[in-house]
Amino acid sequence: MAPNTEHALRPLRLDTDLRDMGVLRLARASRPGRDAAPKPGADPLGHLLARAGRGDQAAFADLYDHLAPMVYGVVLKVVRDPSQSEEVAQEVFVELWRLAARYDGTKGTVTAWAATMAHRRAIDRVRSEQSARDRVAREVSNVVLDHDDVAGTVETEVDRDLDRARVRRALDRLSPVQREAVELAYFGGHTYREVAVLLDVAEGTVKTRIRDGMIRLRDELGETA
Amino acid sequence: MSSDIDIHHLGAAYTLDALDERERMAFEAHYPSCDVCRADVLAFRAALAQVASAQTTPPPRALKAAVMAEVARTRQLSPLLPDRVSDLAERRRRRQRTIGGFLAAAAAVVLVLGAAVVLGRGGEPAYATALAQVLDAPDGTVLTLEPSDAMGAGASVKVAWSAQEGMAVVIADGLPATPTGMAYELWFIGSGDPEPMGMLERVDAGELHAVLDIDGDPTAWGVTVEPDGGSPAPTGDILFLGAA
Repeated sequence: MAPNTEHALRPLRLDTDLRDMGVLRLARASRPGRDAAPKPGADPLGHLLARAGRGDQAAFADLYDHLAPMVYGVVLKVVRDPSQSEEVAQEVFVELWRLAARYDGTKGTVTAWAATMAHRRAIDRVRSEQSARDRVAREVSNVVLDHDDVAGTVETEVDRDLDRARVRRALDRLSPVQREAVELAYFGGHTYREVAVLLDVAEGTVKTRIRDGMIRLRDELGETA
Repeated sequence: MSSDIDIHHLGAAYTLDALDERERMAFEAHYPSCDVCRADVLAFRAALAQVASAQTTPPPRALKAAVMAEVARTRQLSPLLPDRVSDLAERRRRRQRTIGGFLAAAAAVVLVLGAAVVLGRGGEPAYATALAQVLDAPDGTVLTLEPSDAMGAGASVKVAWSAQEGMAVVIADGLPATPTGMAYELWFIGSGDPEPMGMLERVDAGELHAVLDIDGDPTAWGVTVEPDGGSPAPTGDILFLGAA
């Protein structure tokens, strides 16, 4: 980390306004299409996302209601700080909106897409925090937040309880060391190398536990994502 | 470092976001063209979606209004067009290697470099081979450049390079399109003035990948927007910057 790299470049201004530019999003370098993927149309949120992709904000608001408890829940679990989690969750939704037309149903359900994005963003936040921690003394705000009434949201508590029970059962099928490694990585936001240090075991061992754990989880949770 | 045998076992850690930056880049370059790894990623993500769905927390009340306000002023990206396959990056890389020495002498010469969409069909994309070579080098380094505030969320530029190999791989994603007649230009910042490393040409679909030759060790990398054809020194705002 060389300090003051800004001074290596001349501070000159750009006379074009980036916000007025059209946009190009450069997508991942593949479009598989032949994997065992959920059928388009089997995903109830696919329809809402397609409408959102055509600029329908009302459809996106509905999509928000479906996804927000999951997105915020995952981000909060990883980031911990509520106000930062709120920022990250907002970034996730704006990204979902921007990319709505680029969603590819052959690469997983809308929920899986949103969960991937939410987790990735949360991880980016905690890792950049980690690297910034030495430089910047931050003030952490512990604001008491006003929470949504869950009663109005689309999925009922009963459904959620069933989901939770299924996932809990699946996680229970993992061996304790597999579960520990998977949870430290997914919720703890640690890389597998960091998990190895935390547990004081070899990196290869952690990699194996993570892989075996994920295979077990995949088999237990099966087709219904 | 990462042998070919290992990489097929990284899918689980990848979907958990538990790889470090080097491995993540290497795996992202690899898995789209690997049937086994692609299926792994898909299945692991589906399982994690269920774990995530069991992890719900009511979001703060203000979040929805904030999201919808931001949505109302955020332009959406156009859908992807059908596949465009190109091995431009590889061809240009070879051409640059042969004329590299000559160009390095003429520091002010703008090196227009090819950024091509290389879609994996059959073998690995050309840039993936270059990336593996860079990452396997003992001095191989990966850097995610810091975006300036002018860049929206989701725009990213990463550079992987090895001075020993004399090669750098640039991976850009989610960059807003530049106005007609303008393009992104990459700068190599060593001990002296920033050196132009070439234009990140516009493509219509796909991540932007560029393979380029470098001479020496950078202290930083930067990206600005410049008139087509490039400038000998940066004239636009710094949009991305990273210290090596």
